[in-house]
Amino acid sequence: MKEFEVSVVNRAGLHTRPAATLVKLTSKYKSNVFIEKDGMRINGKSIIGVMTLAAEIGSTLLFEVDGPDETEATNEIINLFESGFGEPI
Amino acid sequence: MYNNLKVIRKKEVQVETLLSSPLNLQVKTGDSGLGNLITESNLHRPQLALAGFTELFTYNNVQVVGNTEVYYLRSLDLERRKKAFENIVKFDVPCIVITNGNQLHDELIEIAKDNNTALLSTDKDTTTAISILSVFLNDQFSPHVTIHGSFMDVYGVGILFTGGSGIGKSEIALDLVERGHRLVADDIVILNNNSGTALMGTGTNLVQHFMEIRGLGIIDVRRMFGIRSIRFQKRLEIIVELEVWDSNGDYTRTGLEENSTKIMGVDITTVKLPIFPGKNITVIAEVIALNYLLKTYGYNASEVFTQKLNETIMKKTKNKNFTDERIINYFQGDLE
Repeated sequence: MKEFEVSVVNRAGLHTRPAATLVKLTSKYKSNVFIEKDGMRINGKSIIGVMTLAAEIGSTLLFEVDGPDETEATNEIINLFESGFGEPI
Repeated sequence: MYNNLKVIRKKEVQVETLLSSPLNLQVKTGDSGLGNLITESNLHRPQLALAGFTELFTYNNVQVVGNTEVYYLRSLDLERRKKAFENIVKFDVPCIVITNGNQLHDELIEIAKDNNTALLSTDKDTTTAISILSVFLNDQFSPHVTIHGSFMDVYGVGILFTGGSGIGKSEIALDLVERGHRLVADDIVILNNNSGTALMGTGTNLVQHFMEIRGLGIIDVRRMFGIRSIRFQKRLEIIVELEVWDSNGDYTRTGLEENSTKIMGVDITTVKLPIFPGKNITVIAEVIALNYLLKTYGYNASEVFTQKLNETIMKKTKNKNFTDERIINYFQGDLE
């Protein structure tokens, strides 16, 4: 199991479009993905779950990725967050 | 999957939160002390503290001032009254709740303001007020978890569907809604243990009754199916764990043994349900609910059947034909 933290760097935060991008990415993998923020723990493959976090710029999300392809999934998730989902930073 | 649930407990609530309790509290001190933090669900009546004995005074509790305290204060002259009241507000008291619609003297209200203590007043009598406040604060400080699943009210039975992503929880919920059952929460379910004996479930304020259907996107169940299709809270009674059919899976065949899951110290009946194409989970969910109701009202089908079987086995002394075992002894002649 991999546990890591990522920060939201894009100005608009984790709104609908980035949330959709994120769950499309996590759903590709067999590994289970859980995200935790402010005591709320949600399934990282659920769009409603990810949007519920309402993660604003500067906030930190704790990821927990567990499964056969956890390494690849982890790398891709970190890249996605660092790139700010291709949005203005 | 229930072992890694993170149990969260509020450490503090603001005094302002009390205003949303069913007590209908009126603020007597303006904004003073509304931001004070309550850290205990216990209540305290400050009788001895008013009289001057402040050792062991649990000042960080919400203080409830009833007739006894108010009559005592009234019996004092101005200076001694101020002194007595200062005995309690000189501590970090979060707020004082005055019951029975009693009025405190103006000078005491000023002292409370100066010490940044909120004075809240209710028309309810002390016993009722204490009972309502206790329930409210217990709920505020109760442990809770968030869990991934769909939570439905099926024939009045609270059923939580869990299972991996994409297994079809939301679709089952939607099918149940279509059949007249009510959605409590989809995807993120918050479970609270506020009584010690039961778990209450609700959704998040942001999501409410929106849900995602794969391939469609986000829909609003409340708008689409109307107010009768939803509810805000329900007691959790059964967990239905959905999983892809596994021929080696250990699924109950008789229903005699009951599985349960412990969440925050409360045992919840749990049904492991294999799914495969052509299996109508919605109807099975309804049957699970009805069977639970039968059991709750004293009828356990598997036990009754077992008893009938045992009686039949015990009665079998001589060989009988299998036709002797029919429900009816002979078919009537009307051929119906």
